[in-house]
Amino acid sequence: MTLKLADPVVVPGGADARRDDVSRAGIGSGITIENVTKRYGAFVAADRICLDIQPGEFVTLLGPSGSGKTTLLNLLAGFQRVDGGEIRVDGKPIQNVPVHKRGFGMVFQSYALFPNMTVAQNVGFPMRMAGISRADSDRRVAETLGMMQLSDSAAKMPSEMSGGQQQRVAIARSIVMRPKVVLMDEPLSALDRRLRESIQMEIRDLHRTIGSTFLFVTHDQSEALTMSDRIAVMDAGRIIQVDRPETIYRQPCNRFVAGFVGESNLIDAEIVRREGAALVLRTKTGHLFRSPAPDEVSGRNVTVLVRPERLILSDVPGQESIPARVKSALFLGEILRIEVTLDSGETLLVRCSDSAGQTLPTPGSTVHVSWGMSDGWVLA
Amino acid sequence: MTQMDTHQGNPGVTPARSLSERLKDPALLLIPAFAFLGFMYLLPLIDLMQTSVEGDPWWADLQRVLSVPLYFDSLVRTMNIALTVALLCALIGYPAALLIQRTKGITQVLVAMAIILPYFIAILIRTYAWMVLLGRNGPINKFAVWIGAFDEPVGLLFNRGSVLLGMTAVLLPIMVLSIYSSLSRLDPALVRAAMANGAGPLAAFWRVLLPLTLPGVGAGFLLVFVQALGFFITPSLLGGPGDMMFAMHITQQADSITGEGFLQALAVVLLVLTLIVVAVAGRFLGFEFIWGGERKAPMPKARETLDRPKPSRGGVKEALADRAGWPLLRWLGALNARWGEWTVRVLAICVIATLVLPIVVVMIISFSKASYLTFPPTEYSLRWYEKFFSDRNWMSAFWNSLFIALMSAGISVTLGATAAMGIVRSSIRGKSTLMLLLVSPIIVPPVVLGLSLYSLFLKFDMVGTYWGLAAAHSIGGIPIVVVIVAAALQGVDRRLEQGAAVHGASPLTVFRKVTLPAIAPGLGAAVFFAFLHSFDELVLTLFLSSPRMKTLPLMLWGDINYQLNPVLAVVSTLEVLLVVGGIILARPVFARARADT
Ligand SMILES: Nc1ncnc2c1ncn2[C@@H]1O[C@H](COP(=O)(O)OP(=O)(O)O)[C@@H](O)[C@H]1O
Ligand SMILES: [Mg+2]
Repeated sequence: MTLKLADPVVVPGGADARRDDVSRAGIGSGITIENVTKRYGAFVAADRICLDIQPGEFVTLLGPSGSGKTTLLNLLAGFQRVDGGEIRVDGKPIQNVPVHKRGFGMVFQSYALFPNMTVAQNVGFPMRMAGISRADSDRRVAETLGMMQLSDSAAKMPSEMSGGQQQRVAIARSIVMRPKVVLMDEPLSALDRRLRESIQMEIRDLHRTIGSTFLFVTHDQSEALTMSDRIAVMDAGRIIQVDRPETIYRQPCNRFVAGFVGESNLIDAEIVRREGAALVLRTKTGHLFRSPAPDEVSGRNVTVLVRPERLILSDVPGQESIPARVKSALFLGEILRIEVTLDSGETLLVRCSDSAGQTLPTPGSTVHVSWGMSDGWVLA
Repeated sequence: MTQMDTHQGNPGVTPARSLSERLKDPALLLIPAFAFLGFMYLLPLIDLMQTSVEGDPWWADLQRVLSVPLYFDSLVRTMNIALTVALLCALIGYPAALLIQRTKGITQVLVAMAIILPYFIAILIRTYAWMVLLGRNGPINKFAVWIGAFDEPVGLLFNRGSVLLGMTAVLLPIMVLSIYSSLSRLDPALVRAAMANGAGPLAAFWRVLLPLTLPGVGAGFLLVFVQALGFFITPSLLGGPGDMMFAMHITQQADSITGEGFLQALAVVLLVLTLIVVAVAGRFLGFEFIWGGERKAPMPKARETLDRPKPSRGGVKEALADRAGWPLLRWLGALNARWGEWTVRVLAICVIATLVLPIVVVMIISFSKASYLTFPPTEYSLRWYEKFFSDRNWMSAFWNSLFIALMSAGISVTLGATAAMGIVRSSIRGKSTLMLLLVSPIIVPPVVLGLSLYSLFLKFDMVGTYWGLAAAHSIGGIPIVVVIVAAALQGVDRRLEQGAAVHGASPLTVFRKVTLPAIAPGLGAAVFFAFLHSFDELVLTLFLSSPRMKTLPLMLWGDINYQLNPVLAVVSTLEVLLVVGGIILARPVFARARADT
């Protein structure tokens, strides 16, 4: 793949010029991952993975540690060779393009800044390798450092900077060439929470500004939810579900995704009958409730996901409410976190926002739990 | 001695300590080792230096050494050879280190063993293996004649080339280990980052890998250079008359007792040269390089602060890099990446072959039936094994070596382990200086040490005694033990010991129940390597043994110079089996000891 650098580089710096330069439809590449498999001996680290990424999209690979996220990213970057399947960038297979000619930007968890070079030299490194003239490259480095609020640190060595600063430099280095694709492997997991949140926002803004295709890896579900256009949830070398964040959260395709993304109540239920677009279900405690019917259901027994913030607690019984006993109640500031136990022994987590008249229920007291018809999601 | 000074130096800090408390100070554990080294090592060296300046005026003998062309030329030649060997080691050691790092699993273990194992086989034996390999009836000549490269066997031995080849092969493992330890400390993401940012394999190596492992290369380079300066065995056996190295002059002069003073002056010149090199290197690298430690180096500083002015000092260099360096790297990056991979592989396999092949050839020859060296043997037999085990001289040499090595290992471990304990556990000041003193015997040329000990041995009538030789060998054994045991001790969790003490265990019980089990693997490795050091020792023994008291290396040395018969191959094979067996038995231990270092 060749780098079309000529155009962006001659554009003079300055905020306005930059904004015009990079319309969203700009420079990002589309990526097609088709049945990609990677084995380490007998162990399958990536199992027939398929994923289509639109040009300029921000896609996050989310999954527990060891689920194969890094493996997939490394296959894309070219550090490892695929054992089966094909990866195409803008329609062209890239298997035989060596790493250094793929022209992707890449950010590593360990920052991977060259300790023997200054910040400016680190960020200028890809430009040196691409053979861009000193003047153009200096201008572009200064501009990129400005975007990452690093202008004052150009002459520093990486070792003189904090972790957050170092990762900013690493990000600057990955985008200085305005690559068509930027790969980030858990870039924020070594940072503390506050710093992580502020850099999350910076990365989002950056994505919007330069318009490259971003493939971001994390095991942190809230990070994935806040940052992505789409999330690909991975487990055991496979992609389980690819969807927009709100779809992943509200309509997970199975128990794993429901449990991994956000907090969840999984209630076992039995199908009583179908009523148009809804199912009538019976809990183990014998109570009936309704939920939207999924496209397909197999068998009579299903699991229903109800997110803790969708549950309503009340002192008095209502229609379709289930009696429960309060197990614990915690005041967490803006929300209350209450655990209740049903007669069947199932424990449900309830979250409600704090309001003036609210009192914490006392453990051991009886309450009534209910949820709206559209709040339950039947897992296939 | 030093630790005493430190104590008296600050009496005000702990004024109220009773005598019994003072006796519990771990710093006292340093006394035995320092007393021993003071008497056996420092005193003789000081004596040697004194003798060298007893002329009139005091520099007369030193001046003679430097003004006689024979010696001056030899000094220049020695430095020349040492430098070439160090360069060769760095050049071919790097790919080997890379290969160890890049391979995985069983391949990695095999590659690492192939490179490290030869390090523990006696230099004498490895040199002998090269004599066999390069000899007129050796496999290289045979092969060259067979393919028609030579019309008839050629003399490949006794020239500068064979000296360089032999010394490089002997010293290469030090370099590989040094580079490898530097490589393995690097974040592997760095090379990936370079490649992802458009650097081909060569550019990644040149701009990232090499600059960051330069300290390791430097340390290896200096260790090789310093050892090569004092080399004696390999150049004596592989070199011609034009390849005399400085250490060889010292032994030659020692045989033909010339004037007192001049001989010592020769040794002092070599010693001072070595110390200067080490001192200069230590200033740049930190003296830790001697024992393979890593200096807690201050991270590289920014050369210019804010707003570096561009056309400054860096201007010319930068322009040159822009014109030539970067374009060249880019051009090389355009080559197929497989080339680089294959270059590393082929080079590294050559390295492994040079290290392993000679030993394998010798092992095969030991089963030959012929009474002269020829490869491949025309017929096989155990004839030479029978000869070895039934020959009274060989067997008594073997038992002598075994006794001496056992005694020496005992002395080294007792003194070395207590000293390591004292260094690690006391709060004594100037620990690095003490450590430097303890391990300094490693860098003193053995010829110098042997010469200095000779007069001591004469004075106390220790020449040719078991105890004398065992003690002399312990001078080099102690540093080995100190380095290994100190590393093991640093791995012991202090809190475990404190926990045991809180629960009422006496210090001795804590040591026996907590500390000792934790450092047992390290101690085991230390005993083994101290044993091997003594078992293989030749140069000191040459000076200090008597005709009635021969060790195995001494017998080998005599026979190599006199007749190259296959009994030598038998002894070599047995030694290789000893080392391989010991290391395989101790492999878990060894792996732990290295991981701790
Ligand atoms: N070079 C390798 N050799 C053998 N197994 C590997 C290698 N790299 C990764 N694995 C295995 O593949 C699985 C997926 O690893 P990885 O992609 O790093 O997961 P993630 O990044 O999601 O945590 C893990 O079980 C890991 O042990
Ligand atoms: Mg990972």
